[in-house]
Amino acid sequence: MKKLTTRNAFLGVIVAIAVSAGLLTVPAKAADPITLTIWTFGEVIQPGLQREYQKLHPEIKIIPIKNDVDPLHQKTILSCQTGGPADIIAFEVPYSGYWRTGNRPNCFQDLRQMKTTDTNAAAGVAAGLSATDIKKNYLPWRWEQGVAFNDSVIGIPTDVGGLQVAYRSDLFKKAGLPTDRVAVSKLWPTWEKFIEVGQKYVSKLTPAEKKSNKGFIDDAGSIYAAVMNQGTVKYYQPDGTDAGKLVYKTNPQIKKAWDTTVKALNAGIGARLGQFTSDWNIGMNKGAMATILAPAWMLDYIKKQAPDTKGKWDIADLPVGGGNQGGTELAIPSYSKNKQAAYDFLTWYLAPEQQLKVFKTYGLFPSTSVLYDDAALLEYKDEFFSNAPVGQIYTKGVLKLKPIFEGELQRKIDSTFGAGLGRVASKKMTSEKSYALVISDIDKLFRN
Amino acid sequence: MTLIKDSKGRSKAPLTPWKQKSKKEKKPLPGVASLNGRWGYPAIAPFFMIFLIFGVAPVAYSIYISFFKWDPLGTSEFNGLNNFIFLLQDSDFWLAIRNTFSIWALSTFPQMLIAISLAAILRNRRLKGKSFWRTILLVPNITSVIAITIVFQQLFGRDYGLINGIIGLIPGVDHIDFIEGIIPSHIQIATMITWRWVGYNTLIFLASMLAIPDELYESASVDGATKWQQFKYVTLPSLKNTITFVLIVGTIGGLQVFAEPQQLAADGGSTKQFLTLTLFLYNQAFLNNKYGYAAAIGIAITVIVLIISAINFVITRRISGEGGR
Amino acid sequence: MKRNIPKWQKTSKLHYTMLSLITFLSIFPFYWMFIVSSNTDAEISKSPPSLVPGPRFMEVAHKVLTAEGVYFTKALTNTFIVGIAIAVAQVIFSAIAGFAFAKLHFKGRRFSILFVVATMMLPSQLGIVPLFIMANKLHLVNTLYALIVPALVTAFGVFWMRQIIDAQVPNEILEAASIDGASVPRVFWSIVLPSIRQSAFVLGLFAFLAAWNDYLWPTIVLQSPEKFTLQVALTQLKPLYGLDYALQMGGAFLATAPLLILFIFVGRRLVSGVMDGAIKG
Repeated sequence: MKKLTTRNAFLGVIVAIAVSAGLLTVPAKAADPITLTIWTFGEVIQPGLQREYQKLHPEIKIIPIKNDVDPLHQKTILSCQTGGPADIIAFEVPYSGYWRTGNRPNCFQDLRQMKTTDTNAAAGVAAGLSATDIKKNYLPWRWEQGVAFNDSVIGIPTDVGGLQVAYRSDLFKKAGLPTDRVAVSKLWPTWEKFIEVGQKYVSKLTPAEKKSNKGFIDDAGSIYAAVMNQGTVKYYQPDGTDAGKLVYKTNPQIKKAWDTTVKALNAGIGARLGQFTSDWNIGMNKGAMATILAPAWMLDYIKKQAPDTKGKWDIADLPVGGGNQGGTELAIPSYSKNKQAAYDFLTWYLAPEQQLKVFKTYGLFPSTSVLYDDAALLEYKDEFFSNAPVGQIYTKGVLKLKPIFEGELQRKIDSTFGAGLGRVASKKMTSEKSYALVISDIDKLFRN
Repeated sequence: MTLIKDSKGRSKAPLTPWKQKSKKEKKPLPGVASLNGRWGYPAIAPFFMIFLIFGVAPVAYSIYISFFKWDPLGTSEFNGLNNFIFLLQDSDFWLAIRNTFSIWALSTFPQMLIAISLAAILRNRRLKGKSFWRTILLVPNITSVIAITIVFQQLFGRDYGLINGIIGLIPGVDHIDFIEGIIPSHIQIATMITWRWVGYNTLIFLASMLAIPDELYESASVDGATKWQQFKYVTLPSLKNTITFVLIVGTIGGLQVFAEPQQLAADGGSTKQFLTLTLFLYNQAFLNNKYGYAAAIGIAITVIVLIISAINFVITRRISGEGGR
Repeated sequence: MKRNIPKWQKTSKLHYTMLSLITFLSIFPFYWMFIVSSNTDAEISKSPPSLVPGPRFMEVAHKVLTAEGVYFTKALTNTFIVGIAIAVAQVIFSAIAGFAFAKLHFKGRRFSILFVVATMMLPSQLGIVPLFIMANKLHLVNTLYALIVPALVTAFGVFWMRQIIDAQVPNEILEAASIDGASVPRVFWSIVLPSIRQSAFVLGLFAFLAAWNDYLWPTIVLQSPEKFTLQVALTQLKPLYGLDYALQMGGAFLATAPLLILFIFVGRRLVSGVMDGAIKG
């Protein structure tokens, strides 16, 4: 009981300050501790940081609820119609186009109209900051992914999914390949060279290893997204309108990404392990793949799934250089009853200091560009990955990135291409036939 | 068509419409005349009110929606018959029909075979532990599809699954990809369905077999009929109605297969190799936000059910016309 | 004591072997759940995999029960509440309406029955989109009522009860009672209900099991973990912990165990319920 009263007192003080500052309309149940419900996925909300925030604010209870990315998207759509219990919702960048267009930005609070209270002043977040004020901390194009076409700011970026190659130096050595990360990076200036190295690696495998489905890369299909994201345009070309112009039939980058991937598939360098499947996890432990195209956020996943492979991994540059995959926005749904508390949490959680901590413990690469010349980031090395200077490697990659316009049905189109490559990989269809089917499947998305 | 729907909407506990029909013929004025019939209205009113609101209205509403382009967070506009025209042109729809019926066939026929054989064994009055065997048969039926899909998915894993582990022991035989292959993936799903329903159907067959008088077997035995002959000439003919029934109920259940393929891959596989009709409906509604189109799919499923029921009706008529019991 | 067993009734070893095999196959997935959830992933992913229980089960169970944002025990309670509410409601509504359809003589009766039977052919997924829209308008979304209210009555339940009452309650008794001056509610309460107890129980069980295992509708209509039913909670373990097999299987096992325990007590009744419903001949 005692604890409760101190909590109440504490909260009372906060409310009093907030009200007198005229920043906050008093919530109906001001006396109760605030519960922030966060709909999230993967490792977006880090338990360590969550605990840290709760230590700062015992009056706030944070409950992250996890879902997979696509079901979460569905839930978000449904809850926008009905209202719901969430105070913060995470959505992946490929879905940002969907939320930025039409009247869908209304599903979220315009963060330009929010202002921080002084609740986190001691923790480095000054009072009175709107989204417009914190914008300068972030990588500009990354920030824009959370800005709707009606200019309201619906999401704040968490990480940048910088992409590099994680490789097994022990397996490289066995196959007679160089193991040093600089030498390895030099092996593949282009994707063609990458495939050649893969073929060399696969030719050294024993028949038994081949039978048990081992390969050079976990999933050759993952090359597609990597190549796509090295371009400047994906399926939508910016043309001054909100919707953008659909170019999924004509953009040469798509054909290039497709053909490169098909070449890799046909070269047989992949272990055909779909990412995040059970076989992939087990395969990681069994050395079924020597390379993974790893976005920064995947490093932590590898550590967790295959702890015994510690020290056997290393990180090299992505062929061509500069790759991107994923990245997330955190948003406040318009129906949230705790918008102020949610905003205060967000501005703290996504501030440069916290993003740096997240990077060090979980490997998510910060979206706050103010950090990119920070020694703490650049000098960070990861023991699990043979002490690779992951901070430096990923920063180098991210700085090469160019902004890409993410359109309304980006994610759907991406997964349609993914399925198309899956068909080629499993030899269910020729590349041409599968490609034609992809196009007609996408046509259908826009039809009725 | 009498069914309890479980989580997947598969049907349970069949009853017998034709049996009831013959009864009706016997009593043209059913009911107890001396009971005040006016009590009937208050008695059915609560049921009907809830039923109309939550059972009938949604169906009517979905017919309405099917004429619209209906996006919950976008625009909704009248679309005429376009949803239906698109549906007939949509290759996914035909794929879904193919998959649905293939999975149906792969689960129904082996299931019937196993169920009838097991029932024949269980019918034996000398069998020890009768009650135990019967009860154990029903265990798979009560468990959740989700929990079981998790188990089977792992057992069927391509590289490290138990089943492929066994297959891999055979020299010269490669692992089977139970997701990518069309038929293998259907087999995986059909196995889950069979596992779940075979015991249940065994009990249905057993009930019919127990109704066959012992004397028939006794006299066949006296006449020197072998076990197989007894089965063929005594047991099977008496199961005609039950077989039709299990087939039809299985079909309706089969049209509603959803959770198993969805748990394997939400999009129904890279070549949509296990996209079933119900999964197709669900995805159009909740992944693509095409409520109108999804409603049109629902109506198409209903039409298929009605056609099958009509065929069933004709067949049962014919069977009873031929003097089947 | 040795009696002469007629030849056609002899059992052979083959029969018992087959039955044992089926028993094994029926039980194995549950055993496998337990194996996986009590071993480390490494034990399971080696070939051939471990087939004996390991020491980890309690640890895994604890992790499942305390998983953040899953509220497994709460989900268990929710599922029980929903299941029991639905079972009781279905039995009551179905018995009353079934009685009227079977025994009372009123205008529109035949049409009503036909209507009910016809709707049973509709696939349950047909109405799911409108049902969601309705649930939203009625402010039922994210409440347990959203699961209970639409399932209070089913066409099947009414039809089943009609059949049972028609077959198991002789008209003569009802006639005699009504001639003695018993009102219709009285006849229903003191004659019909007692004689259909067993079947009503089975109907309730079916309804309970269906509610327990329902997945599609709860995933659509429930949003907060403290409202989740077991099946939904189960699907939350994967995004939370990645593909930790032990955990997923542990969850599956814990979600199934209550049913298995229930089954020990009611299994025989369920069996007779299923068989009563079957066509005889």
